[in-house]
Amino acid sequence: MLAVMAREFRLLPRRPALAGLVVVLPLIMLLVLGGIFRAGIPTGMAVAVIDLDRSDLSRAVARMLDAAPELTVTHRASDLSEARSLIVSGAVRGAVLMPPNLERDITRGERPEIVTFYDNQHMSAGSLVARGARNAIETALAGLRLSVRQGRGEAPVQAMVSLQPIPMQAHALFNPAFDYVHFLLAALIPTVLQIIAAAATAYAVSLDFGPGRHPRVLMRMAGGILPAMLGKILPYTIIFLLILGLSDVALYGWLAVPLRGSLWLMALGAVLFVLACQMIGALAFVLSRDMGRAASLIAIITAPAFGFMGLGFPREAMSTLAQAWGAAIPGTWYVQLRIDQSLRATPLDISAMSVLWLAVIAGVLAALILLQLSRLARQEVAA
Amino acid sequence: MSALATAFRAELRAILGDRQVRMIVLLALVIYALIYPLPYRAELLRDVPVVLVDQDRSTASADLARRVDASEAVALAYAALDMAEATRLVHQRRAYGVMLIPDGFERALLRGDQSPVALYADASYFLMYQRVMQGAAVPLRQMGAEIEAGRLIAQGTPRAVAAAQVSPANQIEVPLFNPAAGYATYVLPAAFVLILQQTMMMGLALAATRRGPLPGRPVWRLLGQAGAWLAIYLGLLPIYLIVLPVLYGLPILGGPGSLIMLGLPFLLAAGFLAQLVAALFRRAEVVQVVLLAMGLPFFFLSGFAWPVEAIPAHLNALAQLIPSTAAIDGLVRVTQMGASLPQIAPILWHLWALAAGLGLIVLAVETRRVASATPAGD
Repeated sequence: MLAVMAREFRLLPRRPALAGLVVVLPLIMLLVLGGIFRAGIPTGMAVAVIDLDRSDLSRAVARMLDAAPELTVTHRASDLSEARSLIVSGAVRGAVLMPPNLERDITRGERPEIVTFYDNQHMSAGSLVARGARNAIETALAGLRLSVRQGRGEAPVQAMVSLQPIPMQAHALFNPAFDYVHFLLAALIPTVLQIIAAAATAYAVSLDFGPGRHPRVLMRMAGGILPAMLGKILPYTIIFLLILGLSDVALYGWLAVPLRGSLWLMALGAVLFVLACQMIGALAFVLSRDMGRAASLIAIITAPAFGFMGLGFPREAMSTLAQAWGAAIPGTWYVQLRIDQSLRATPLDISAMSVLWLAVIAGVLAALILLQLSRLARQEVAA
Repeated sequence: MSALATAFRAELRAILGDRQVRMIVLLALVIYALIYPLPYRAELLRDVPVVLVDQDRSTASADLARRVDASEAVALAYAALDMAEATRLVHQRRAYGVMLIPDGFERALLRGDQSPVALYADASYFLMYQRVMQGAAVPLRQMGAEIEAGRLIAQGTPRAVAAAQVSPANQIEVPLFNPAAGYATYVLPAAFVLILQQTMMMGLALAATRRGPLPGRPVWRLLGQAGAWLAIYLGLLPIYLIVLPVLYGLPILGGPGSLIMLGLPFLLAAGFLAQLVAALFRRAEVVQVVLLAMGLPFFFLSGFAWPVEAIPAHLNALAQLIPSTAAIDGLVRVTQMGASLPQIAPILWHLWALAAGLGLIVLAVETRRVASATPAGD
């Protein structure tokens, strides 16, 4: 087995296609993904203001909107259809409408409407706009309410207290800075690596076990098909673990993602994860015995995997079928483990479940590969 | 001219006659149409489970809990004695938030003091956090406003004036497009564009690595090939972007006319890019893996899910060279937001420029290959 491993390492630099897949491609992916999210929290969404009042108050609201970190007022629209057109064409992400006589109606106690329109097709940007506008308008109105109360002789502190009888102390658990970059990167890198590890392993196996190849040389070298297979797979396990480690160094060092849990559990999970991904590739190849068909099988399982991890739309809200499909994919559990142990500081006994699942998936895949290999061996003997 | 027709037929044969390419082109449609949308079928998050830690056990705290529980967004699914017990439920992902009503809540309200309530929401899931905050904040503000108005009225303020003082203006939020904030409505139209591009490039690049050289001058040959791509994919485009969304019950605002107009340069650009990918990587296996791995980065580079405002400028400039970046933006605006072609003219020009630019590069590569393949003086 060691001889096969040594041969694999020796051959790697002489096979540019394979070396490109296992080393260059993952590194480019790391750079691109890290680059996309490096800037951090999105800010400064473009919005339009439709100020039909042109009063001190409406100008104050517009200033508040521009001052909100989420927003930048880039356009002034004269009516609703102009604002809508700006949103549809993508010039702005939302618009705030202040009706005529806004200031007068407020002082008369007629409770006029301030309307925020936002593009919810682009939901991530749209909800930022809605939140930014909501807070900015609320701040402007609170200032108004405060000055009215003070005008009636209330002390500033007392007035402040009266404004909000039940203030909500909001705490963002596990992510106080609202930075989703950590979560996205923690999931995207393993997802992409899952695709590459599975496909590259299938490709490496195909180079020795594919049609027209002579696996017997390899088997004699290792003393059996199982050691030969392991010798083929393990060198890439080491490479992918190094790449995963490099991404961790980048994430926890360079991007300063907090690391609050057990490194050992994460490392154990990483080994099981990489092995499971590789075995998806190896199984796809020994089942199809053709790289093209193996690649299609791998694509079906690994390409849509990101959605099933529940980062955008949570797993618990998915249908049972979707939850089950997601549970069969190693990335789902590894990403959960990473997020639990790095960001959520989950107690070990809860997190151990993810590692257990990874072990089960890897075990089942390994058993399936062995079954298929022995079947193939029997066929060869019979032939 | 005959070179064009020959190339057209040869390319069609290379795509539809090759079992593996055919599988990528057609099976991809079926499989991705079934598997990709699976996680998002539920569309909306209702009754997100939240833990209640009621340390006051008073009439007022029970009233508040009932109001929060009644909201559509959250349900007070568990009651815990202390924060430690509640936090464990959140760690287990059985609940996504904790509402803590401290001891003395009612007493402070009766005394006319401020009486805060703490809300801990799981911010590792953006959507869950939003729903928990929304579900608790609205009833909380409402109850607060009722109390403030009640106090003002007790001081002798007329009812209408009190209401205006509590909330001087009505804040209304109107989501344009995807008004129900459905996750499938949000993500699927964009994902379908990307899937179309990736499977198309995979199929065409694979065909390019597996078929033999085509006869004739490169210009006619390339035009013939492009004709074959359009013949296949102008039919598949409406299936991905109109039929599938309709099957999944997503709203469609745009007509097929603008869709085809925008789809034309997009398909050409993707087709030419596939030829370049094939020429660069040569081996079929490598081409497939590279395109597979590029899917997610392309999606996030497109500026759809991750706002373009947050993508570093140099990366964004690079992303403009990928057809899906402009195509996702344009096609989503056309089909989901009902944009007219003049409204997205810059995107249309962008895609035509991309198609022309990539086409010229492919032509240059092809011409050079022909020149180096034929010995001088032949």
